[in-house]
Amino acid sequence: MESTVSVSKGVFLFPNGFQNSKTFSKKKTNLLFCKLFQEECWYLTYRKNWEAIKTKLNELNQRSYSVLLNDIVNYIKQFYGSEEAFMLEGIIPSATLLTGVSQPDHVSQFDALINITKDEISPHVAIVNSQDSLSLKHIVENMVWQLIGNDLKNDEECDVLSTKHKLKKSQCTMKTLKTWYHSKYTNESTNKKKKLISTKTLVIVIPDFESFNCHLLQDFVMIISSYISSLPIVLVFGVATSVSALHKSFPYEVSSKLLIKVFHSHSSAVYMNQVLEDIFLTHTVPFHLSGKAFELLTDVFLFYDFSVKGLVQSIKYCMMDHYYGDNTKALCCNREDLEEAVLNLSPNDLESIRQLKSFRPYLEKQDCRTKISLFEDDQYFRDALYKELMKLHDYLYSFYLCVKLLSTLIKDIPNNLLGKTVREVYTKCATECITDTPSFKECMQLLSFQSQIKIVDTITGALKLLNSHLQSVSPIKPLQATPKKNNNNTDKVFAHRELGESFAKTVRVHLMTFLRQLENANTEASISTAMDTDSNDNVENVPGSRYKLKEKLLKATRVEKIQSEFEMIRCRFISYLEEMFAKGLQPPHTQTFHEIMFFSDISNVKKHIVGAPRGALHTALSDPAHYLQCSCCRLPSPESVAGTLPDVCLAYKLHRECGKHINLYDWLQAFAAVVKPGENDEQRHHDPIIQSRFTRAVAELQFLGFIKSSKRKTDHVMRLTW
Amino acid sequence: MSSELKGKVSDSETETVDLPDTPSRRTGRTRQKPKKYNDFFELSPSKRKPRRVSTSSEEDEIIDDSCPQKPRALFSDDDVEGQDIFKFKGRHTKHDLQNAVRSAMMNSPKVILTRLKTPKKVINLHSPIRKAAGTPRHVREVIKKRIIQEVDSDSSGDFSGSSSDFVPDESENEEQSDSSSSSSTSVEDEKPQRKDSVKTQITRNRNNKMKIKDSEYIVKPDNYFMMNSSKKIATSDHTLARLKNMNIQDNSPDTVHISTEHRKKIAELNYNHRQLFDRWLYELSENFSIILYGIGSKRTLLQQFQTEKLNKFPCIMVNGFFPSLTIKDILESIVVDLLGNTTVPSNIGSVVKLIDSQLSENSVDLFLIVNNIDGPMLRNSKSQVTLASLSQIKNVHTIATIDHINAPLLWDYSKLSKYNFSWWDVTSFVPYTEETSFENSIMTHKSGALQLSSLRSVYQSLTSNSKGIFTILIEHQLANQKQAHYQGLPFKDLYSKCREQFLVSSDLALRAQLTEFLDHKLVKMKRTLDGSENLMIPINNALLQQFLEQQTS
Repeated sequence: MESTVSVSKGVFLFPNGFQNSKTFSKKKTNLLFCKLFQEECWYLTYRKNWEAIKTKLNELNQRSYSVLLNDIVNYIKQFYGSEEAFMLEGIIPSATLLTGVSQPDHVSQFDALINITKDEISPHVAIVNSQDSLSLKHIVENMVWQLIGNDLKNDEECDVLSTKHKLKKSQCTMKTLKTWYHSKYTNESTNKKKKLISTKTLVIVIPDFESFNCHLLQDFVMIISSYISSLPIVLVFGVATSVSALHKSFPYEVSSKLLIKVFHSHSSAVYMNQVLEDIFLTHTVPFHLSGKAFELLTDVFLFYDFSVKGLVQSIKYCMMDHYYGDNTKALCCNREDLEEAVLNLSPNDLESIRQLKSFRPYLEKQDCRTKISLFEDDQYFRDALYKELMKLHDYLYSFYLCVKLLSTLIKDIPNNLLGKTVREVYTKCATECITDTPSFKECMQLLSFQSQIKIVDTITGALKLLNSHLQSVSPIKPLQATPKKNNNNTDKVFAHRELGESFAKTVRVHLMTFLRQLENANTEASISTAMDTDSNDNVENVPGSRYKLKEKLLKATRVEKIQSEFEMIRCRFISYLEEMFAKGLQPPHTQTFHEIMFFSDISNVKKHIVGAPRGALHTALSDPAHYLQCSCCRLPSPESVAGTLPDVCLAYKLHRECGKHINLYDWLQAFAAVVKPGENDEQRHHDPIIQSRFTRAVAELQFLGFIKSSKRKTDHVMRLTW
Repeated sequence: MSSELKGKVSDSETETVDLPDTPSRRTGRTRQKPKKYNDFFELSPSKRKPRRVSTSSEEDEIIDDSCPQKPRALFSDDDVEGQDIFKFKGRHTKHDLQNAVRSAMMNSPKVILTRLKTPKKVINLHSPIRKAAGTPRHVREVIKKRIIQEVDSDSSGDFSGSSSDFVPDESENEEQSDSSSSSSTSVEDEKPQRKDSVKTQITRNRNNKMKIKDSEYIVKPDNYFMMNSSKKIATSDHTLARLKNMNIQDNSPDTVHISTEHRKKIAELNYNHRQLFDRWLYELSENFSIILYGIGSKRTLLQQFQTEKLNKFPCIMVNGFFPSLTIKDILESIVVDLLGNTTVPSNIGSVVKLIDSQLSENSVDLFLIVNNIDGPMLRNSKSQVTLASLSQIKNVHTIATIDHINAPLLWDYSKLSKYNFSWWDVTSFVPYTEETSFENSIMTHKSGALQLSSLRSVYQSLTSNSKGIFTILIEHQLANQKQAHYQGLPFKDLYSKCREQFLVSSDLALRAQLTEFLDHKLVKMKRTLDGSENLMIPINNALLQQFLEQQTS
């Protein structure tokens, strides 16, 4: 058992039967690891859903990067691409990519860049990370090795010349690179007269510019600039902060060697919104976050790390937690898999679904017979469950639609009452019944003040959104998945479908009619008043007409407002919106079986996503009963001490009463006095047990970093907290 | 020395302040500390509340400046309040510790019973403390005089030092019986059982008046700077040398004291933690790293995890607390011992690449178990970058523990995102036996024991002549230990002394003998300004004394 305790070793290897050999059969080990959960259906559902999300994320990344990366690639292409491109002597063309501070997110971006460069420009791409670049030698070696090495791998069989000597890393110098390049391209091209090959650019990517020692980079740039006449090199810098970082770390003689063009990538917040809106806040993903959970994750993003990768991992964590060990969560899947999932449920699973809180209100609505059969008849329950879950899917569909509609509608109104982005609107809608809130009402009021052009614009935007929404879902055709045996029930399902796709369609019809009406609406009243003002303007120009103006204004107040056609339609439009949102934006927790699709156990997950090691230490030390649940350590107040506390806690509490420096002797005496209150001092002096206990406690506190030894005074320790 | 004396002075000032014959002094004082635990206790909330309000508003302002949005879901009510951990503590005085102890003794039922029955026992309880107070009476008198001067000249008494944190109040009473017996205010409060003189009652009333003034005292951030600006250490001069049995050598696990109830509860906690193993495995398989925190050794838990769940996978167990661990050891054990390569590439990137490719080639999952990823040898950024990059590999799964309070400062965002931690609180209260066994503890007597034993073993391997030379050195050093700046024994003197005892016959022979000591760092040679060489032993005099006693006996 104590095999990992040694005074001479700190690392212990347990191969557990592992041997590194190429012949080792591949299947065995991998199987073991997956086997742990593989049979569970919740795990399968989780895996499937997560894979779906992952592919979507990748697609999204590609989409969002593509514009920027194409720009860079085109920029790189323009150098050395054609012979006539005139280059100044010793100037290195370079691209600077402003990435933003969240470095973890950029890894994928640079990977994409490298891939696209390899495809479109040249196979010779080197990426130089700061962590591998302790000296100039390392940088050059690393770079040259990658440039040549990649090539060696690529055409190992065709190019006999280059493979005949295996390149050692220590041989990788700029000179080797030069000879290699010339033997590879210049000679060939002169022989074969092939211009295309001769223009293979060497691209060097430096993804984390700020982490480099700037002197190293200066030297590196100078070296490259001396080779630029013979080697077509392009540098790509990834800069996290701003361009000024580049200028600050390069003095004039270095920066004059660089031809810099700056490219901007998206800011993290924009990227996050995109990720959330396109992937997680859609009905297509079966896993949904409750308002509170969502808020937590976005808060972590905005206030802690600003990293989309971190956000995605947190969502993944929530998802893992949601599915973990709960077979009923297998129902949290796409529509088309739902039927199978329902059929696969065991009676136990069904029982645990019956325990769900949101099942109660549903049950109460049913009549007595149905109630009994819901409880007794598993098959009947399965049917009901299926129906309800289908309803839930429909609800989700229209819910997200409404959230997005609402956010497009209120995007431009002032005061920013419900938030600007979809995620903010979602958070509000998911936590409470938004249509009852005053801010929603205010939003609607503000909408009703919009001008004709504005409102037409908003509706067009909303319609566009609706159309894309409908398009995205149309191939799924949820109703076809309805099983045959449920046919008699399907009518019922249809009848109750006031949500879902049909909802979207009716909304579209309504919006279109409103749009048409509003466009064509005569703003007669406003025209007449406009004419009025025109006539009055003339009067106004006449000097001394202030009285008349006043008169006119008074009259205007008395004249009862005649609503123009436009205003009437606008009014109807707003009331329609209110009605529609009231239907579509019911908060998720009012829905039956929402627990299956919505993740809300936020307090549990929060501990694991945002660790609080210091808080835990403090709690444990100042109130051990919180963890131990023992009767002996209940303290009247957090400050008080008692002899029954664990030794570390006692020493900790006593040390908190001291200043910056602690006299060990006095501390020990205090400790002893608390531990053995009955004894007198003489006895305590002699008690080796107390001393060793105290010594241990002090050593542990030192280990935990609360104190350290101090040389200022003998037998004193310094407190490291205050 | 003088600064310490000053510390004493300003402290004693607080004790003499209540003397009735010096009422003017009190007005001179800017602030009076709460004397009684009660006062302190009542004060503390009021002290803290305004502070709390101010910080929260400050924080709000800061957030307002940077971004209009406030985190809503991040913080909940059951969080440990930052105030509890990070707040500016008021200036600590000797009374704080004293009061804490006293109240604890008060709470323990045993003592209360005895106190109720026999008031005499209470005196017993305190009387030994009197012996502990080492300052002789005449010194105190001198100090008292100084205080009076000090107070008159400079009333801005810095924070109180003390001659001892356990100044016996009774003894103080006796000394000052001519003036008043009231200075021991901190003892007689909360103890109505004690038959106190009427005089104390009166003084207590006076103290109540003071209390009102005190309650207005608010801790300000300035206090932090005040606390840190002062150069002197305001604690007592007691050293561990006062203890009777200084050298406790055994540090075996059975010295660990845990009460039976706690033992049971700890076992329960451990049982609960073991229920999490499957969950951890699940998360590890999803490429999260597990990080365990909370007080108590987590080594055994990890070991259980390894033996229970990971017995079919290659594992690497790293003891981060091991004092001579290097990151190279870890890499070597993976690359060389596990994967069977001959050398470890020099830079991190290629190591990681190598491990990644070889592991995925074999499609094997490696588990990296790191006890104390915040260990002293893993605290540099290179190790952390390496570990983070290793954890990032798809086939490497990391489980790590942290114990140090500042451990999370090790990681920046990019490292954290590579690690991809999921945090688990596994507070267990299991004593850190292995973890602290390498640590040279602050309790100097422990390291003294180590020194002593090494000294002994070296000494035993010496020839009798060398032993003699060494003894001469020790004796000389001990004879001169009163000297403030002991320079060491001049070589010439040593030579003559050795000649006297027929230990060496020539200068060269002595030098040859001495090289051995110098090599073992038992003796230090110092060249003085006049060119002579002085020899001294760089070991504590008390230890030397003990060593000598052991040898002669």
